[in-house]
Amino acid sequence: MNGLNSTELIVLLLSISVMLISSRVLAELGKRWKLPVVMGELFVGILLGPTVLGLISPETFSFLFPPTGNVPIAMDGIFKLSVVMLLFVAGMEVQLPLVLKQGKVAISTSFFSMIIPFATGFAVAWYFPELFGINAEGKIRLLFALFLGTALSISALPVIVRILMDMNLFKTNVGMVIVASAMFNDLFGWLIFSVVLSMAGQPDNMNIGYTILWVLGFGIFMLTIGKKIIDRILPWVQNKLSWPGGVLSGTLGLCLLCAAFTESIHIHAILGAFIAGIAIGDSVQLHERAREIIHQFVTNFFAPLFFVSIGLKLDFVENFNPVIVGVVLLLSFAGKVLGAYIGARLGGMGTSNSLAVGFGMNARGAMEIILGTLAYQAGLISQPIFVALVVMALVTSLSSGPLMRKFVKT
Amino acid sequence: MDTSKLKGRPPFPFETIAVAIAFSPRLEALLSESHHLAKTFGARLILIHVGTANASKADKIQKVCAKAGITNPEVIWKEGTPATTILQVCKENTVDLLVIGALKKESLLRFYIGSLARTICRKAKCSVLLLTRPSSIRRKPERIVVNGVEHPKTTESLKTAVYFAEKYDVKEVKVVKELDMTGMAMTLADDTTASHANKMKKEITSEAEGYLESIIHQCQTRQVQLTEKTVKGKPGFAIGKYARDKKADLLVLNSPDKSLGLLDRIFTHDLEFILEDLPCDILLVHSRNHSEK
Repeated sequence: MNGLNSTELIVLLLSISVMLISSRVLAELGKRWKLPVVMGELFVGILLGPTVLGLISPETFSFLFPPTGNVPIAMDGIFKLSVVMLLFVAGMEVQLPLVLKQGKVAISTSFFSMIIPFATGFAVAWYFPELFGINAEGKIRLLFALFLGTALSISALPVIVRILMDMNLFKTNVGMVIVASAMFNDLFGWLIFSVVLSMAGQPDNMNIGYTILWVLGFGIFMLTIGKKIIDRILPWVQNKLSWPGGVLSGTLGLCLLCAAFTESIHIHAILGAFIAGIAIGDSVQLHERAREIIHQFVTNFFAPLFFVSIGLKLDFVENFNPVIVGVVLLLSFAGKVLGAYIGARLGGMGTSNSLAVGFGMNARGAMEIILGTLAYQAGLISQPIFVALVVMALVTSLSSGPLMRKFVKT
Repeated sequence: MDTSKLKGRPPFPFETIAVAIAFSPRLEALLSESHHLAKTFGARLILIHVGTANASKADKIQKVCAKAGITNPEVIWKEGTPATTILQVCKENTVDLLVIGALKKESLLRFYIGSLARTICRKAKCSVLLLTRPSSIRRKPERIVVNGVEHPKTTESLKTAVYFAEKYDVKEVKVVKELDMTGMAMTLADDTTASHANKMKKEITSEAEGYLESIIHQCQTRQVQLTEKTVKGKPGFAIGKYARDKKADLLVLNSPDKSLGLLDRIFTHDLEFILEDLPCDILLVHSRNHSEK
């Protein structure tokens, strides 16, 4: 078996080091203006990628990030592992009991904030594909429409929680409704997206019914029996094995096992990791400290690598299409804010707070960027659409807090 | 049926206590406990049995009641679905406290199907006392734990616990608030410095303590000392674990805001964590002032 030679190993280690250190520096600078960390990481990618470094010093760029050989293969493995880990921690924050606990208003808000953006996104992509520079028919058009609908439906829970905590709204009725609804959106959004991805990677005659059955079967098993088993095993792992080594190896091992399982049944590995995250994160037995360690590890090692890598893959200036960006932004605001507003109103909330819920749930953050990256890699979307999704993720995350503040009444 | 007496009725004093009876081996102990409760609170005691009345059953009840010290038992016989019928009888008789015997833990299947005791807890519109170890020889409760959750019902639950403690001469009642740190991990992992993270955690804890102090201030009496405690963990689970670890005799909780269903058992939360594995006797306080219709 051929492995990395010494020079390749040096390049790999150097590039990872540059990515980690520079993204941390920019994230810290961004903090001064209250900018999200992911923005700094993306910016580092743009600086180190073809947009800036590739333009001013192509030799340095191709030295640090060689396009061929073993290094890009190793890098690709690390990035794929990163996205699996990111979805794992995203899953850990989904607390399904919270949705039930919040009752009618959360269920109604979740439903409408999912279905309206999905329907508007799907309809516009299906009837007006030329707006996105697409002129395909049949399966590709359908997949793109399904993807856009899904992309507009999800929310970025970590960004939302952060905004709510900063505004001291986390424990209020509005805050809990937003969090519960965003969790529900994420669960269904990633389920649908996994099916769409698996459709994209399969021949036309693939039986989509089987894929959905597998997805549902796996999800139901993990969230019922699987969760009970985890609840039984975790105390033993945490009390009898080394701390925190035991729980880290156990939980991350289970995450990768589930990811491998879903990948083996032709559903993307992210879904396995996401569901494993929900099952583990929802366990009452998981110590808060263990939860924090897993988060810290993933957020500060894997997340920067993943988000920096996005900027390395494409030229953001060249692929910036104002029409596509405008359409995506308009659809994202209209669908999500309107959907969540209608849901919250039907659930019994007042006009002002319903609008606050709408703007609160509009934050897409890192989740949208992950979704866009996977869709781009799977050939579902073009580079300009991907860039538009990244811009949308940043604009919605940055505007969510101030707009919510305008309407919320505690 | 005149239910006007029910609306806005405070959870205590316990003027009418009912006990749901079936012909189980624990019947005598359950009746003995209920009789003692009725004597302690100066309440009327009624016995509810769901099933067809016949002479042999009546005779058996008379004998067991005599052993338990109940001289003229007032038995209400009704036919129908056990949980619904018992709750209907409670409503018709303006029952303040319903006493039921319950196993500490049930099989998984039983838990999902829902036993009578658990079903009543999920639906009751009056306060319910679940006795896990009814005994013919009275045990005086010594350690009472009250859930100090931030909810309009909590003050009334705490006052009821104090009322209970006064009657049984319990000197100290622990009011416990659970700190659910959901969301903290992801917020702290993002871009928070160690000092900021500690500050956030301290703020959450002191906010919880402030709340406990305020409700304790409203309920403090001379006879009973109320002390506060915060525990980290999921609501329902954390307080159940605390009560078990501290060997509490009675855990006092608010009644659920809505009728809990199968989904609440699958995606367990709050009261369901406790019903899954009862840590001790449970008193569910139903505050009719704050309950939903």
